[in-house]
Amino acid sequence: MDSFFARYRNLVVLAVVLVAQIMGLAIQVRRFAGGHNTLDVRDGSGVRLIRLWAEAVVSPFERGIHGTGLTASDLWSNYADLRNVRKQNQQLQQTIDRLRLEQAALLEDAKQGQRLQALLNFQQKYIYSTLAAQVIGSSGSELSHVFYIDKGEDYNLKPDMAVITGDGIVGKVRDVFPHTAQVLAINDQTSGAGVILATTRIRGILRGDPSGRLMVVGVLSDERIQQGEAVATAGGDLIFPRGLPVGVVDKVTRDPVHDGFIDIMVKPAAHLDRLDEVMVITSTQPRFNDQQQKDIDTSQAEKGADAQAIRDQLKASQIMAEHLPGLIDPNLPPDQQPLNDSSNPSIIKPPPQPLHPDRFTPGNAVTPATSAPDSTDSNAAATGSQGQRRPAIARPGTAAPGQTKPGQAKPNQAAPNKTTPAQKAQPQGNR
Amino acid sequence: MKLLGANDRRDMEIHRYPVLVYALVPLVALVLQAWLPRVLGQYAYFDLPLVVTIYFALGRRSPIQGTLMGAAMGLFEDALTHHAIGVNGVAKTAVGFIAASTGIRIDVENHAIRVILNFALSLLASAIYYGVYRGMLGLDLKWSWFTQLFIAIGNAVIALVLFPFLDRLQIRD
Repeated sequence: MDSFFARYRNLVVLAVVLVAQIMGLAIQVRRFAGGHNTLDVRDGSGVRLIRLWAEAVVSPFERGIHGTGLTASDLWSNYADLRNVRKQNQQLQQTIDRLRLEQAALLEDAKQGQRLQALLNFQQKYIYSTLAAQVIGSSGSELSHVFYIDKGEDYNLKPDMAVITGDGIVGKVRDVFPHTAQVLAINDQTSGAGVILATTRIRGILRGDPSGRLMVVGVLSDERIQQGEAVATAGGDLIFPRGLPVGVVDKVTRDPVHDGFIDIMVKPAAHLDRLDEVMVITSTQPRFNDQQQKDIDTSQAEKGADAQAIRDQLKASQIMAEHLPGLIDPNLPPDQQPLNDSSNPSIIKPPPQPLHPDRFTPGNAVTPATSAPDSTDSNAAATGSQGQRRPAIARPGTAAPGQTKPGQAKPNQAAPNKTTPAQKAQPQGNR
Repeated sequence: MKLLGANDRRDMEIHRYPVLVYALVPLVALVLQAWLPRVLGQYAYFDLPLVVTIYFALGRRSPIQGTLMGAAMGLFEDALTHHAIGVNGVAKTAVGFIAASTGIRIDVENHAIRVILNFALSLLASAIYYGVYRGMLGLDLKWSWFTQLFIAIGNAVIALVLFPFLDRLQIRD
């Protein structure tokens, strides 16, 4: 036995190490009833401990490198910034003045928007609290688009908090360690965010492809989608607030797997490959200042009064309906409805259809406006006979019932500047 | 590729390094692997822990040491990702073992052989990773062989520069 182990020592060690790791992998994977396997979204205690150790070993060095790099770059940038600083200051002052004016206008729009949203009982999630953090490292694997930031449990970060930059969304917090946090970038294959195309209002799911590019999947083929269309967060994933910029449409390709669907390649708004500073959204609960809250309360009160008035109107109409005879009784079958009851005298029925319709039949009456001016017989005109074209002569007393006699046109039946053919036929002396 | 006979093995030099090198070089490789992609962005086509694993496995010519070092480096890399811990571990364990076993047979002092070995073993590590992830675990993973090819080329180029530098750190009698 000893000789066996001595002879195959290398293979035995290899087998033991491999089996141990495979067993560890088997613990981490779960099989679902659908047949597909998946990893636990939340790491087990043992796995988390290993990640914690690895992060604890690497992050101090990463912080050191990051800090050293920042110091060197700060020295250089401070020197460079001193040059032309006066000119830049003047330009910035002008920009501030312009932005103040724009801000005043935007504030009015924002207040109006909040009032309207409150009226609609729609509470949109606004970003109210963010925490700035530095990116200190990455996973080091092109298959795992995660990065580490220098804030963790010490700053009350929690998983699933959105991470953004000034340009757009970046990712979400996946795991939180004592002094760092792991962020899953939006261009990872396992990432997912609800997005909406700004112009066409088409919704989809944002995720990454193997090359780390952004793509929107789950979209039906639509020719309206054009290159350059803005993509923003839809707000339905409960992670990213609505309306944050994601990027622009770069290319539209057919989904190779699902027929009729397309993949929309997105050029990210944020520089996902070169992240330095990010912001973690720590609070998205609606929170208004006193004036805004006052406006919302007023809107809510007005909305309540309107709703009460509508309810009163509905109640009154129901009471009226109960006291009036109805043509449709919801409690009776269709063949026994009052509308079909021949014994009910109150029902007005349409007249029976004539066997031999003539010019006296309702609907066949010839009015001066509808009679052909060159026809001698109105029946011929009604039947479309091709008679000789002669000037029409109006014959008083022969007009059909309801037909207005020439010269007796009601003011509301004919336009003042229009003359009927019969009026044209009247001699001048009759006027 | 120069094949060695069994009698030549005893004549082969087994590279020995100070303990500090054994500790620091893998650590530096892991830290740089985690930090450099931040600087290089999408052009970080390399796997420094794998290159270091191959180097020490080839130099020490001990399959057990290569196995253990590959396992440690792979597990450490896995721990920094959000994937299952052990996939890289299995891949680099196998690569460490194969590299050490190969180092017994062939002359690994030749630069061309080192480059070719790094290229081939990098692709092998990728293949094992893919096989374990998709075949054994049955997890969904979109895969790009082009990316893996670039990584293998990057590893070969890095090995061309790094191996001579690390050779200078070995203990010479």
